[in-house]
Amino acid sequence: MMSPLDDLYNTPTAAPAAEQSVKDVLAGSLLSANPGHFDEVRTPDGHLRSVWSSFFDHVGAQGLKGLAESAQTVDRVIAQNGISYNIFAEKEEQTRPWSLNPLPMLIEPGQWQTLSQGLAQRAHLLNEILRDVYHERRLLQAAYLPSALVLGNPGYMHAMHGVTPPSQTYLHVVAFDVARDVEGQWWVVGQRTQSPSGLGYVLENRLIISRLFPQAYREMGVQHIASSYRRLLEALETQARAITTDTPRFALLTAGPMSETYFEHAYLARYLGIPLVEGPDLTVRQGQLFLKTIHGLERIHGLVRRVDDDFCDPLELKSDSALGVPGLLEVIRAGGVVMANALGTGFLESPAIQGFLPSLCEHLIGEPLLLPSLHTWWCGEDAAWKDVSNRLNSQVIKPTFANRSSTNFEPIIASLLNESQLAQWRQWIARRPEIYTTQTYLPFSQVPTWRAGSIEPRTAMIRLYAIVGENGQWEVMPGGMTRVAAVDPHLVSMRSGGSTLDTWVLTDDQVDTYSMLPQRSKRQRWHSDHELVSSRSAENLFWLGRYTERAEFLMRLAREVLVLLTTNRRDSQPALRDAVGELARLHGLVPFDTPAMSVAPVAFGQALINQLQQPDGRGLLDCLNALERAIREVRDRLPAEHVQIPGRVKQLLLQARHSNKNSSSLGLVSGLDVIETLDLMEIPLAALVGFQLDRMTRDLGWRMLSAGRMVERLINQSQTTDQFFGSAAVYTSRGFDALLVLFDSAITYRTRYQRQQDIPALLELTVIDTTNPRSIATALNTLAGEIAELPSGDTLFPAFPTLTFDEDNISGLIEQVRQAGRFGYEASDEIGRRFFAHVKQQHFAS
Amino acid sequence: MKHIQIEHQTRYVYDHDVVLAQHLAHLCPLKNPWQTVLAHRLDISPPVDDRSDQIDAFGNTRTFFSLTTAHRELTVNSCSRVEKRARYAHFDPSQTPAWNELQAEMTYGLDQPFVAASEFVWPSPFVPWLAELKDYALPSFPLGRPIGSAALALCQRIYQDFTYASGATEIHTPLSQAFASRHGVCQDFSHIMLGCLRSLGLAARYVSGYLLTTPPPGQERLRGADASHAWVSVYCPGAPGQWLELDPTNQTIADTSHVLLAQGRDFGDVSPLRGVIQGGGKHTLEIAVTAQVLDEDALSM
Repeated sequence: MMSPLDDLYNTPTAAPAAEQSVKDVLAGSLLSANPGHFDEVRTPDGHLRSVWSSFFDHVGAQGLKGLAESAQTVDRVIAQNGISYNIFAEKEEQTRPWSLNPLPMLIEPGQWQTLSQGLAQRAHLLNEILRDVYHERRLLQAAYLPSALVLGNPGYMHAMHGVTPPSQTYLHVVAFDVARDVEGQWWVVGQRTQSPSGLGYVLENRLIISRLFPQAYREMGVQHIASSYRRLLEALETQARAITTDTPRFALLTAGPMSETYFEHAYLARYLGIPLVEGPDLTVRQGQLFLKTIHGLERIHGLVRRVDDDFCDPLELKSDSALGVPGLLEVIRAGGVVMANALGTGFLESPAIQGFLPSLCEHLIGEPLLLPSLHTWWCGEDAAWKDVSNRLNSQVIKPTFANRSSTNFEPIIASLLNESQLAQWRQWIARRPEIYTTQTYLPFSQVPTWRAGSIEPRTAMIRLYAIVGENGQWEVMPGGMTRVAAVDPHLVSMRSGGSTLDTWVLTDDQVDTYSMLPQRSKRQRWHSDHELVSSRSAENLFWLGRYTERAEFLMRLAREVLVLLTTNRRDSQPALRDAVGELARLHGLVPFDTPAMSVAPVAFGQALINQLQQPDGRGLLDCLNALERAIREVRDRLPAEHVQIPGRVKQLLLQARHSNKNSSSLGLVSGLDVIETLDLMEIPLAALVGFQLDRMTRDLGWRMLSAGRMVERLINQSQTTDQFFGSAAVYTSRGFDALLVLFDSAITYRTRYQRQQDIPALLELTVIDTTNPRSIATALNTLAGEIAELPSGDTLFPAFPTLTFDEDNISGLIEQVRQAGRFGYEASDEIGRRFFAHVKQQHFAS
Repeated sequence: MKHIQIEHQTRYVYDHDVVLAQHLAHLCPLKNPWQTVLAHRLDISPPVDDRSDQIDAFGNTRTFFSLTTAHRELTVNSCSRVEKRARYAHFDPSQTPAWNELQAEMTYGLDQPFVAASEFVWPSPFVPWLAELKDYALPSFPLGRPIGSAALALCQRIYQDFTYASGATEIHTPLSQAFASRHGVCQDFSHIMLGCLRSLGLAARYVSGYLLTTPPPGQERLRGADASHAWVSVYCPGAPGQWLELDPTNQTIADTSHVLLAQGRDFGDVSPLRGVIQGGGKHTLEIAVTAQVLDEDALSM
């Protein structure tokens, strides 16, 4: 099946009898690794390693020459899909596109054997350590682990002492960072045990790169990764069966759109088929965890959490956390929820732990540790500090407790320090040795990356994921994320601007081609007998509907004002100008104290133009901002290209500001520019609306969106009608047309009545006629229909307003229209009260 | 032997309805060889929907309760009766090990036996490691000085150097600020003393509890007797039970005039009553504590 994504690819095909061979192309573009680093592509005698040779052959000379285009394709897909990484979580403007290199990293079957066995053993070992330290603490008593690294670690959670999670599984996913030394030997650099990030990015990387090189991907025996995600769900499900006889339900707990990796939270939730929730969406009752949905409270049996330990429960932990669920620890202690991963697992992330793993492995599982850690010295152990202090310059100095801000710092490569800096570090370490850990500086292997015309080697670290199965056995996902440094030869980090590579694990055996996507449709959806729509999603969808409608209306209204001012008519119609001007004032398109449009038309127009580009709380830009926020909050329910639209519309509006500034003439000329801008903005917005109408599943979430849209339309159209009849503007020929434009019904009217200006016919069309999709009656009927579909929706309103038209009583109909508008406000309030959790949370202690 | 009756009432009044409230209380006195809990009752009004009592990681009784019906007022009444026996009557602080030997015991080494008290050596959320606390503490800790004497001296210095002023600090005032201003309440005095001891690699716990409202005849009324109180427990082999309880707010050893409620790393582990509520608007809080010695007649009944 072709996906819309496929259109974006210029799939490179194998080289037809080309003049240039693969060898020739590579000779000109493939650079060698720096001395002192293992070269992933070439053997020391300069030959291509067999996997790489095979890869390049599959890609072909043409494909290699087309790498520049491939890189552009990758960037384009990333931009289209809105794949991003927020560097500074608190500022959404800092969201930056994900960086992915077109070339994959290849891991041979033999190497994989070593890695997967070693990491599975380590994951098992880490879980055993957790079992001990949260119960008997024998490892502390027997000095296998220092008290400082466990009880003194901010990642150790006293509140979890004595708590046994379901199946004694503390860890479900462990991420390991591994790298190769100059001999090609693998080392473990570090591990992530709390809520490892990257599983979503790994998927996205794979989808993009596998399509870039379909032949190589198919022919080389690249292992697929979908089974690993299924494995995680199966393990959770098995464990949750112990706490319920019903179908267990899961959710992915995110810290929200401001968190660093929000993109992947939404992506992963969608892929796993579980709702994406934030702390305030959940609540604790009687020792159980519930999701606030529009059906009421629905029990949740398991959380894949992407919120840090300390923020998970504001009742017991960080009391100022707005991200957590008060009482969550109480549920965990009562065994009422499976947490992946358990709280209190973060202390294992300290690099200092690495130094203790060999003896722990022997002691706890009676085997030698298969994969070595980088040589590690925890300075809090006197003997270790004395030992390493003389050769500090061969080390990387790292914080023992990166999880406490006061003891965190960026790792230091000591060989780059001068003598006095080294002396300073020795002094700092001697003063408080336990907060410092050193690891031998290891030049990591270099992997090929595409960079401006050549294939350049870059220092790399590979993140791999061990995942527990339903039987408690660990397996390592055959794939991962290779991260390369921005500037060599230094530390590898996404924050400091590195890039990533898709990571292909090759097998000589059969490839497991399981895919989550078709499977899921066969089984209905994962874990749900009816869809879970959290109250927060519902609220955001409702407002998404309202803001979309409002944005459209404001644009039509602003345009109408400007058209009135720029059409050079001497017969300026004060009644019409008053009606449109007052509507504009009412809707925040001009500041409240702007003189009336009929009095000072030029000033009014200028005020409107200025206001369009300024957020003051209720104008068009504010509406677009609110639309953008609402859409971000429900991005797990919408395709990525949809989520980008409000930003693009905003951009068009703000760009107009620049051209205005440059323009020397103000007033009516720039009014024409703005009309043009508004016309341009209408196109993407129309795409957004079209998507909402056409391509969204008609589920309860959609009903909310549609209800919001109709509520907003009722309110706006009622006000417009009221204003046009109240000011008598409708009785002028220009006013008659303007009302039709604001109702987006001009074409329908002309089709039926040509150029007649018949007031009853106008009212018939805009108010009563249910065949007109833009009439007030249609809005009311549609709203009634959506509300009837909501849970217990039939009890929401005793009655809906009705519209009856007697041609001799126009003012009676206008009064009914006013009532319909008031009903719009009431409906909005009532839906909010019934379905959305809108009361703010606070905390205190005495 | 002394019997003490404690009434501890906490009352929250809210401007608006609270629609959901979850609370955590540490209001049941601790048991140890010198303190027996004869009776304890925790009454909550309005009636709770859900309540559970558990022993936490530090041995305290922790009560979780929640209210899911709208309320404008919450009253938590804790009534306890405890029997106190003198603990430190025959304790000689000079007969305790040198503080630097204890510090060495807490330091990790392969041959070093584990000391359970080391749990209380490390920085905790309310008591971070501060260089200025170490500098402040050091004059009381010449090498070789017995831990008991050194800790007592530190306790007295804090009493002398700091001004007791209720309202000077709030629960979330950082330790560095309370230290710099030399002002605070019992909680700050205790956190400062904990920070001093821990900066030297010594183990110390935060203790929450009560003081007698009316002092024994001939003695002055102690500071902090009108509310719940806090003091410090120092790891001190040689002292009864291996821990020495010191009250820096009153420069005294905490003994039969002090009733232990809960102990932990700092205030955050043992706050008497905390909560997260939905709704409520602004609130007012009233706390009333009385701790009385029951007279002989009452005892014989």
